[in-house]
This record gives sequence, structure tokens and C-alpha cells, in this order.
Amino acid sequence: MKKFILFLFCLSFSNLFSQSELLIPRDAVTVFSINNVNLLQKISMDELVQYDFMEEVHQELFDGSTSEKTLKDAGIDFNQRLNVFYGKSDDAELSGFTFGISNSSNLFEVFDDFEELQSKYENVKVFGSFFNNLIIKDNSALLIRIEPSSELIDAQTDSIWYARGNSYPYGYDDGEFDFDEEIFDEEGFDEDDSLISPESDDFPIANEDPTEKNYYELRDSVQLELQKGLLSKLLDELLIENANLVTSDVIFKEQLTHPCEGTFYLDNSRSLGQTNSLWYFQTVMPSLYKDIKELYTGNIILGDLFLKEQSIEFLVEARYGEKLGSIYQEMNDSKFDKNITKYIHEGNSAYFTYNVNMRKAYEKAYEVIMPIISSEKNSDIAMNVLAFELLNELVNKDALFETYRGSMFGTFNGIKKVNTKKIEFYYDEETFEYGEKETEATEDMPIFTIGFSIGRGDIPEIVLKNLGRVTSKFEKHDDYWVFKNAILDAAPLYMINKNDLFIFTNDEDLALNHSDGYGSNSLPKKIVKELKKEGFMNGYIDIAGTLNRFPSDLLNERRSEMINSLKGKSGKMYLESSKTTNKSTNFKLTYEFRGEENSGKHLLDLVNTLYIFSK
Amino acid sequence: MNKILFFFISLPLLFSSCIELIDDLTVHNDGSGTFKYTLNLSASKIKVNSILALDSLDGKKVPSMAEIKAKANSFAANLKTQAGITNVTMSINDADLIIKLSFDFNSILNFKNGLEAAVASIRSSNQGEELNHNWISWDGKTLKRNSPLMSLTISEQLKETDLDLLKTGSYTTISRFDRAIDKVEQSNTKINPARTAAMLKVNTYDLQKNNSLLDNCIYLTPLKNK
Repeated sequence: MKKFILFLFCLSFSNLFSQSELLIPRDAVTVFSINNVNLLQKISMDELVQYDFMEEVHQELFDGSTSEKTLKDAGIDFNQRLNVFYGKSDDAELSGFTFGISNSSNLFEVFDDFEELQSKYENVKVFGSFFNNLIIKDNSALLIRIEPSSELIDAQTDSIWYARGNSYPYGYDDGEFDFDEEIFDEEGFDEDDSLISPESDDFPIANEDPTEKNYYELRDSVQLELQKGLLSKLLDELLIENANLVTSDVIFKEQLTHPCEGTFYLDNSRSLGQTNSLWYFQTVMPSLYKDIKELYTGNIILGDLFLKEQSIEFLVEARYGEKLGSIYQEMNDSKFDKNITKYIHEGNSAYFTYNVNMRKAYEKAYEVIMPIISSEKNSDIAMNVLAFELLNELVNKDALFETYRGSMFGTFNGIKKVNTKKIEFYYDEETFEYGEKETEATEDMPIFTIGFSIGRGDIPEIVLKNLGRVTSKFEKHDDYWVFKNAILDAAPLYMINKNDLFIFTNDEDLALNHSDGYGSNSLPKKIVKELKKEGFMNGYIDIAGTLNRFPSDLLNERRSEMINSLKGKSGKMYLESSKTTNKSTNFKLTYEFRGEENSGKHLLDLVNTLYIFSK
Repeated sequence: MNKILFFFISLPLLFSSCIELIDDLTVHNDGSGTFKYTLNLSASKIKVNSILALDSLDGKKVPSMAEIKAKANSFAANLKTQAGITNVTMSINDADLIIKLSFDFNSILNFKNGLEAAVASIRSSNQGEELNHNWISWDGKTLKRNSPLMSLTISEQLKETDLDLLKTGSYTTISRFDRAIDKVEQSNTKINPARTAAMLKVNTYDLQKNNSLLDNCIYLTPLKNK
């Protein structure tokens, strides 16, 4: 019997290990795992490689070999997950995806630039191309790109360079460099400038010996060797030690068991070290950085994607460690300000509400964070702690947090004509001489409103009253203040200070005619009831009314395509959040679509959006 | 927060704009004269200011108002150094978005060469070829003007959506003389009652579609012998 159980165990174990997710490196910080790959059968490879999440690996694919091929034609096994991952450590950045293989011949028609490399791993084939590596184990594959960090490459290169007795490689000493800022003349930029001529005077020369590598040649070699070393280390972990994200992170492993079309995983605690804003702490005050990192322990965002007939539901759980969670819990323990809903018109094509208690958040953050900062033995920090403690004692916190309570809302009220002034040239019919006159003009403008809950309306009134004395641009009217030409030097900004709200808007109609809210035309009671019941953040976007008017020209090509892929659809997006505990907050994003494209395309669009915002 | 700000800032770019261009050329009998050029974007303040608020647009760097002023001043400074060019003035009204340039020249050839050289000085080496043709000529009795190809070359690079923005714009070209105009080739040209000035106004969108709309040949009456 024991043998039989062992046999069953081994069978399930071996089956488990044939899955694509077991090739996800443990250094991956962000993972999108698409479970129901069948949805993607009709997606063409050409479409797939256009997505942002493919950008790191797409160079090899987007060379014609994908032309008119679908994922199915590419030999992908639709019974396995497709996992897209990204990770960044101090030493390297890695990205790629893992997938199942049903037909390796078809696969290599797409991955036609890969050459087989010698493999030291049993039953594993390793392929390489200029940028990427393809690793095939049984019927699963890992396509990976690993790039050592420039800091690591520079450090190694410099070390070798100086050890060889070379001098400073750039032709001048640190002290000689003139740090005067140069104004970049874009007009004068010539594309050929990007190619550095080997004859350039700035090119560092090692010595007179032409067989000796110059600095950049040495750096290239170091980069290549580091890349090989990092890949080898990663593959040893994956293929010899069986150390992957599934085996090293029980949360991720559990996430994969969810019966949904796709899952999302982002380990904020591990990505913290790569946050540029913390670089100073990391290098100058490592013990403080360690404490901050501890604060973020357990900060993980998990998501499940459910595809329904005409909608995609994205359930997100933001998990926190105990200390950070206690701050969030206090911050989000706030009664919903019902005044807010009066100012959201039922016809608004987009709105959000954000309901927090800044006073409670401050008190808790002070309680949690001050002991951490105070324990740091650093004179600068000590002075900051002193300043904080004095401010805490001296500032009137009642006045401060009644002026800015933390709750707010925003709406997009569509496009309206706003009155502006323009200079018009008029001509004398006798002489064709011309003069200037100021005339009224109208320009289209997006109308938005942003409002804050306030308990001390008298305080902004003091500010506005005094600004009104300084400049005639500030004018007080019965129900509102107006700041002329505040928006882009052309349109007025209205401020409404009523009903325990301080509202900024460029909506003349709201300021002049609805300063007490939209009354019966505000959000329906049913929605208000739901908003009161739910958590700290809620939102709604009517894609037809909002994204269809988004200026996608401002985005790069792929992102613009992403927005464009949502255009023409009449879908709606809803964001809801749960009450926050000291462990987590749950969010639900519902994307209702009525487009004609297949569901897989919608799913990838959403995955791509999440990838862009999480990267 | 930056993404939200970006969203709000970028939204105004959806909307139409209006551009007004006036070029006013006075040619005296001896070939000397004055050139005045006006670019009026005051009717598009929201659009232009929203663009200027961005770092980049469509993958290209958006210059700041200070950089635009510096470029304009550099152009004017170069123009001052050109042979036969005097009294160069450049003014930029950044509140109403109106740019004005005016200068005197002592011959049409100096006007042509000076303007070409000043334009070339602020453009990169592979640009400016659009001026390498005979876009203006004067023989003492006939002024021949072609389309402002410099502007057209820029507009050719615009996308169809951008071109729509030109629909509400206008380009007015005025030519003034010491003596009466005999006839003009472009039938849409208006001539003042004294017949000393010709004005041709076209829509900027139409001009982009048809480069020859501003081409004109203005014939003057013969000089009276003293």
C-alpha cells in the first residue's frame, strides 16, 4: 500500500513538474499567469508581440517569422499556463515568459533565430540567440532575457581596467569635468550621432597594443560574461535545485490554484529595493532602509481574472504586513462623506471617490514610524525627528486635519465650450493695414471637478480673501470664488466652499447654477447606498464617454494602440473596494464590454494595462 | 499622481485649434522694402498651453516657452547679420501667443538670401532644402511669389488628425507697392481701391492640400518717367 501511495505521489509530482509555471524564476517580482490559454488560440503572434509585456523579448520574434501565425500555429500547448514575468534585483533585470509546448517543430518556425547550446542539465535543451535564451524542459519552455545592471557591469569593468594599470578611461579626470549643463538641441540632433565613431577622440584607448581591449570592448566582454554567469546561476536554481517561484513562495503557489482565467502577483516587499526614491536610504542609512523594508514585509498584491460572457472581473487583494496594515486600517476607517455624491452628476462619464481619515492615519503612522526613525543614529535624521516632534506638539492638528480630512472625489463632466479671449486682426479695406482687437472666443475643454471634505471652510476662505487682495484675478461671488485665466492661461477655475466641501472645477454650470449640488440629477440613491457600504476607493468610467476622447497621440505607439483597442467599445469599468483590515484590502475591477472582438483579446488588453502600471 | 496630472493636461489636446498667419511684404520701386510676419495663436491658447505643459508629444520633445523664445531670438540675431537686412525686430507675446517679426531689406535678393540663411541657422543640416528654389523674384515691374514651402513641408509631416486642426486657420499674404498694380494672376486676390496693395487670404487646410493657392504674380503699371 505504501508503495502504491508513493507511486501515486510520484506520478502527481512528475506531472506537476511538467508545468510551465515551474520554470518561473524565484526572482520574478511580477507575474501574470494566464490559465485558460484556450482563449488565446485565435490571437495572432503579430498581435501578441505588440503588447508591452512582450517588449523585452520581442526583438527575436518580430522579424517576420511570426507573420500570419497564431499562437496555435506556433506550437504552444493550450493545456498549460502562459506566464509572463518581470523581476529586478540589485544585480540584474530579468523578463520573459513560460509556456507549454505541443509541437516543437512549429515552435522553432517562430523562434527561428535560436541556436542550440550545450546543456549541462538532464533532459533540458538550452537555446540562445543574440538577446534571449530559450530553455525547454520536457514539454514546457522558458523564454528569458537577463540583463546585468549597469552598476554591476561598471564596477566589474572598472576593477579589471584599473587592475591592468590603465588610467581614467574617459580622457579627463573627475576634477576636470565641467558640469555646466548643456541645453540639448533637439533640432540639431542627427541620427548618425547615436553611432559613436571608433575614431572619436573621446574613445578611451587602453594602450598602443591593438590586441589589448579598450574600455568599451572590455565592458562588453564583462557584460557578456556577467550575463552568462547570471543565466547559469538562474538555471542551476531552476533545473538542479528546483528552486522556482512556486517552490519558494507559498503565496504564489496558492494563488495558482485559484479557478480563474488568470492570476496576477506582485511582491511589493521585494520590489522596494528597486525603488529609486529609496536609493539614498539604501546606500547612506542601511539600517533605516532595513527597518523600512521590514515595514513593507508581506506587502503583496494578488489578483484573479475572471472572464465572463460580456465582462472581465479582476479581484485584487492588497496584503500588508502588520505595521503597515495598522496604518492603512486606521486611514481607511472613515465614514463616507455623503455630501460628495450630491456633486456627482448622474450623467458623468467618469468619477472616483476616495474616503480616508487623514487624522487617524497620521496618529498611527506617527506611532509606528517615529520609533523606527528615532532609533537611527544619524545627526540629520535626529534633527528631522526633532522637527517632527516639535511640529507634532506645536501645530494645531485639529485645525490641520479639519481643513484637509483626506476624503475627496473627482469627476469628468465631458467636453464643454468655455469662454476665452482671443486677439483678432481686422483689416482696413482701403489700405489693407491691420490692427488688433480683443474678442470673445470659445474653446472646447474637458470639464473636471475635484473636491475635498473639509470641516474648517473658514481657513481656505482666509487664503482666498487675501489672494483676492493681491490680485484682481481672484474674485468672490455669492456662491463661489473664481480665479480668472487659471487654467492654461485661458480659462477660469471656480472654487466652491460650501456644505463641508472645498471644490475646484472648471465647470461654470456647476459653480453658477449648482453650488449646492445637482439635487435630483445627482447619483441615484442605489449607487450612493453602495458607495457608503463599500471601502475607501470607488470609481467608474464609461469608456465611450471618456477613453474614446483620450488623446492617444500623446502615448507611445503600443500604449496608444492599447487605448485605441478600447476605443470604439461601449464598455464600462467599475472599481469597488472592501473595508480595510490590518491585513488586507480587496478591490474589484469590473470591465463590461460589448465589443465584437474575442474575449482573449480583451483579457490581454487588461493584462497589458496591469503590466504597464505595475512595472 | 503624475499619471492623473498627465491625464488632465493631455485632454485639451483633443480639441480644435485656430492658427492665423499674416505675411506683409512692402516692395518699393527700387526693390527695397519691409517684411512683416505675424503668427497668431491666441484663439488656441488652451490647446497650445496644454501642449507646452507636456515634456513630450508623440515621442518628440516639446520645447518650453523659454526655448521657443531663445530660438526666435537666435533667428532674429542671425537675420541682423545678413547683408542688406536692417531694423530687425522680433516680439513674442506669450500671454496671447502672438509672434511678430519685421525687418527692412535693400533688395529682394538680400531679402531672399537673408531669410534663407537665418532659417538655415536654426534648423538642422538636413532641413531647409524647401527654401532652395526661387520662391520670390522681382524684376522692377513684376513680383512673383510662391507658396511658403517651409510651412508646407512641416504640414506634410502632420498626421490626418492634426491636419483637421488647420481647417479653421488662415494664411493672409499682403503685397504693397509704391505704384499701382496692373493685374494679378491669382484670381482670389483682393486689390485695394488705390491699387497699391494686394491681399490673398487662404485657409491653411486648403493650402496644405493645394500648394499653389498662394502662388501669385503681381504685375505693376510702368514707372512714370520724371
